[in-house]
Amino acid sequence: MKRLTPQQIEGLIRAVGQTREHEFNCAECQRNISEFAERQIAGLPLEGALAGVEQHLTVCSECREEFLALEKILRAS
Amino acid sequence: MADFPLTFRDRLDRIFDVLETEINWPEALRGTENSDAVSALRRILLDGLRIALRERTDVSEAQLEDFTHEALLRILERLDQFAGRSRFTTWAHSIAVNTAFTELRRKRWQDVSLDVLVADGQQLSESAVLPDDALGSGEERTRLVGLLRKAVAEKLSAKQRTAIVCMLQEMPIDQIVELLGTSRNSAYKLLHDARCALKEYLIAEGISSEVIRTAFAP
Repeated sequence: MKRLTPQQIEGLIRAVGQTREHEFNCAECQRNISEFAERQIAGLPLEGALAGVEQHLTVCSECREEFLALEKILRAS
Repeated sequence: MADFPLTFRDRLDRIFDVLETEINWPEALRGTENSDAVSALRRILLDGLRIALRERTDVSEAQLEDFTHEALLRILERLDQFAGRSRFTTWAHSIAVNTAFTELRRKRWQDVSLDVLVADGQQLSESAVLPDDALGSGEERTRLVGLLRKAVAEKLSAKQRTAIVCMLQEMPIDQIVELLGTSRNSAYKLLHDARCALKEYLIAEGISSEVIRTAFAP
């Protein structure tokens, strides 16, 4: 295996640091992402399940990538 | 009524806002005469994917059409899952985005070998892969990397190390599921347990939760 890049190591430490004992999985994030995106863009508070989405986005690069794409669509429409 | 002149774009936006709030999409899509609603939603989703993927030069218009078609099928299957906590079109866009990105990731990773990932996982705790000075020569950073390497060596199973290698390469969870022959929930739990084990080890070694969380905050 090649030597890890600083970005990979920092990403791993960041993901470890953001880890919670109980956290959303991708399916739970997906179920709430549309409400999360609308409230995030409107600058509204992110409480309850939406805080779980916010935490999941810090540890899951796939869901983060999809959220950014959704955000791009909503901001353009 | 607005007390200032509206631009054409403002007027158009208002029309779309009214349409969005007045259309009962689930009802329209469930109806026996749903072809107009399906066509309208199809256009909305396709426009959305064009925006979301406009910087991806490797995605063709034909692929966008395929993603849209696949997303429409999934949306029609899941209409009962729409809880009304967002606009319907936002919910639909989220499914279209998920459909498109899942397929694009699957193609990117389709030729990856599990044997290579397992071998990489075995080497993950080696100094050559994770050297002390990987993040610079500062004492705190050197210690953090050293502890991380020890945590990987002592606290993670072979399967967890493989999963961490997948994560480091930003491999999608669906691909990890396929490679490890497990379920989505099990793959996510495998990664979650690995992250928890690494965190516990670092905290036990005196690195506070706050330091780990903020060390490399974006």
